[in-house]
Amino acid sequence: MNCKLCSALFQEFLENSLSEELIVEVQEHIRTCSKCRVSFRTYTVTVTLSRKVDPPCSVSPETLDRLRKVIRENFPKSHGAVV
Amino acid sequence: MGKKRDKQTDADLVRDVKQGEPAAMEEIVKRYSNKVYNLAYHLTRDAHAAEEIMQDVFLTVIAKIGTLTTEAYFSTWLYRVTTNAAYGYLRKEKKFSEQTPVEDIDQEQYLEYDWTNLPDDVLLSEESKEVLRKSIDSLPEAMRTVVVLKDVEGLKNEEIAETLGISVPAVKSRLHRGRLILRKLLSEYFSKYTEPSREEE
Repeated sequence: MNCKLCSALFQEFLENSLSEELIVEVQEHIRTCSKCRVSFRTYTVTVTLSRKVDPPCSVSPETLDRLRKVIRENFPKSHGAVV
Repeated sequence: MGKKRDKQTDADLVRDVKQGEPAAMEEIVKRYSNKVYNLAYHLTRDAHAAEEIMQDVFLTVIAKIGTLTTEAYFSTWLYRVTTNAAYGYLRKEKKFSEQTPVEDIDQEQYLEYDWTNLPDDVLLSEESKEVLRKSIDSLPEAMRTVVVLKDVEGLKNEEIAETLGISVPAVKSRLHRGRLILRKLLSEYFSKYTEPSREEE
């Protein structure tokens, strides 16, 4: 395996969607190639940081109450006609 | 009605909303309000705008749910409506960040710098988070949407493809290129903390 192919497979490797054979090849290449090792680490941590940068938050109860009120006011009395 | 709304599938709820049952719509709001809000917030970076978009999205659901022919695809339809509303807001407000050029993503010069062993208080500092937020915002729209849906919101590739009306390979391609750009920008930022790797092959 060369460096270009190894790099192109990072995404599938992280998603565990590669064949057993390719997993072994990627692991072996990363083990023996320092550039791809660094490349894989930085790629992986970039993905991890993206998940952590703005963790999901909850809508405030007040906002949710306002939303429910708007929904009730706009929900058609007879929605069947829209189907 | 006597129905256990929280046990119903999305398809059941959509069918009941179409039949004029407001309690089904209540359950959809309960199930999806946080998801819609977070996606709108992550695309606009504006809490007030995200609330407005969330309200518009659910009003759109009421108005257009009759056009949804495949009930099982409700969630991806909802994400599509939210994404379109968020970009509509950004266009109206002209709130687009300067985009990072995507041609010639030269990664070579950054591959010798292993910044991943930096302590968490550096990797997760407010400054580095802000760098990453700006980097995500600077991605071209098509790439940015995929990165946000996948790496921030945690959707599956198939869900993203359905949401955006593109193929799974196109999702993977945009995601990979987007991640490479983010890595390049993060590597530039973190390079001030680290020395080139001395690892030998």
